[in-house]
Amino acid sequence: MSGIAIGYTVQGLFTIISVEKTVPPVHISTIGKYTALEAIRTRVPATALLTLAVLLGASLFIRELAVTETARFQIGFYAAAARFCAVFITGLYVLASISREFSDKGLEVLLALDVPRSHYICGKLAGFMLTACAIAVLLSLPLWVLAPAGAAMMWTISLTMELALVTVLSLFCIVTFSQLLPAAGFVAAFYLLARSVTAMRLMGANPVAGQDTLSQQVSRVLVDGLGYLLPALDRWTDTAWLVNAAPEASVLLAIVAQGTIYIGLLAAATLFDFYRRSL
Amino acid sequence: MKLTGLTDERALRAVPPFVGALLAATIALQLFWHSLQPAPTARAAALPPAPEIAGLRAASFGEPVATTQMLLLYLQAFDNQPGISIPFRELDYNRVAGWLAAALRLDPRSSYPLMMASQLYGQVLDTGKQRAMCDFVRARFLEAPDARWRWLAHCAIMAKHRLKDSALALRYAADITRHAGSASGWARQMQIFILEDMGETESAKVLLGGLLASGEVTDPSELNFLTERLQALENAGKPSAESKSRH
Repeated sequence: MSGIAIGYTVQGLFTIISVEKTVPPVHISTIGKYTALEAIRTRVPATALLTLAVLLGASLFIRELAVTETARFQIGFYAAAARFCAVFITGLYVLASISREFSDKGLEVLLALDVPRSHYICGKLAGFMLTACAIAVLLSLPLWVLAPAGAAMMWTISLTMELALVTVLSLFCIVTFSQLLPAAGFVAAFYLLARSVTAMRLMGANPVAGQDTLSQQVSRVLVDGLGYLLPALDRWTDTAWLVNAAPEASVLLAIVAQGTIYIGLLAAATLFDFYRRSL
Repeated sequence: MKLTGLTDERALRAVPPFVGALLAATIALQLFWHSLQPAPTARAAALPPAPEIAGLRAASFGEPVATTQMLLLYLQAFDNQPGISIPFRELDYNRVAGWLAAALRLDPRSSYPLMMASQLYGQVLDTGKQRAMCDFVRARFLEAPDARWRWLAHCAIMAKHRLKDSALALRYAADITRHAGSASGWARQMQIFILEDMGETESAKVLLGGLLASGEVTDPSELNFLTERLQALENAGKPSAESKSRH
């Protein structure tokens, strides 16, 4: 611990290196491994498989109902529903898992050992992200058969980034709020807001009434501020990629870059709150 | 600084500096990234074709009324897309009629689709589109005349005064008289007054006489009024100034 304490006295990001030098990163991989194992034992893959089967069956039903563009109907329904279900399963699993750990006092036991808090968070994140990645790949499998391979690949990568973001968002919320209900509410509100922030910005910039009143100016500034703080998830994992045309590679690169930045931001915020947490 | 008694959080100094630095750096990176992105541009989307009724029934999960309401609100708000406002007259009216018909098939007792057709989409300054909406209302009227006559009556008035097409107005009024037995008296008598205004006094007299003879009109005041009208037609032999001012 003294090594860590000395390491923490060094300012800035260079401290991370010194911390890694003094404490073996084996803690992170061990915590990550057991977090992923926990996901398997709590039947998360089975839940994802069941979701896949139900959605595939429902999409076949939709395909039968459609008179024309049957494949388009099936892909459109499956992709939109799979994206929503994947986000739901991932977010709820992270919230429930950490919430249970708080309730069982498992966290206290773990932190009583020689494990830095940052390693606990990084390990958990690694395990959860591995689970999220597995969910994204699993639920994308039918699209690799139904849609063009290039479009399906981009969609899968985008969904993986989206689930990784939801994972770290859920971890941040449960660490900050401790209780399941406010954390789940915040995750849901954040996700819906992030998917509608572009539309809100457009409506704020072009009011239908055409008047430039003070209230409209204030709301425009607020909405623009939200735009700065939230990732525009409406441009991610778009069903249109599968049924119309795959996007340019630059679109995917932008998603990966934005996702990486935001995951880093939320991870830092989680660490910040977790270090301030009193056991 | 820890606020003892107010919070159980540890002091800020418990947070390692690298975490604070990482947080500040990622926030700065997020703001920088956002500033590099182009501002979103509003694009008007065309109204898609109406969904199939079978698909709508499946998607309603046994709640056709609520689904109809959502469908109609979607259609109603379609002119106001994020950041852009589309005039009704720029919408594809064949598709609009398709959406309204789908809503009506999902919830046949709803009057809202016919109200939208006659009062909302029928008000655009485009006679072709006004006629399209009137045709839509007439077609739906024939499916349930007693429940939907008032919307066709509105179209009859619209045809006479906006479209200046008395023949069309007469056809709508005649449809109401012929098919909607439970329509209000004024709607069932509209055909007579349109004929009168068109100068078809003989036809108007026959219809008015027939209406009085049928015993359908029982209200004494209404009977008196219609009898006076019949006498005026017989005496003058041409449309009176009073009848012209009626419509």
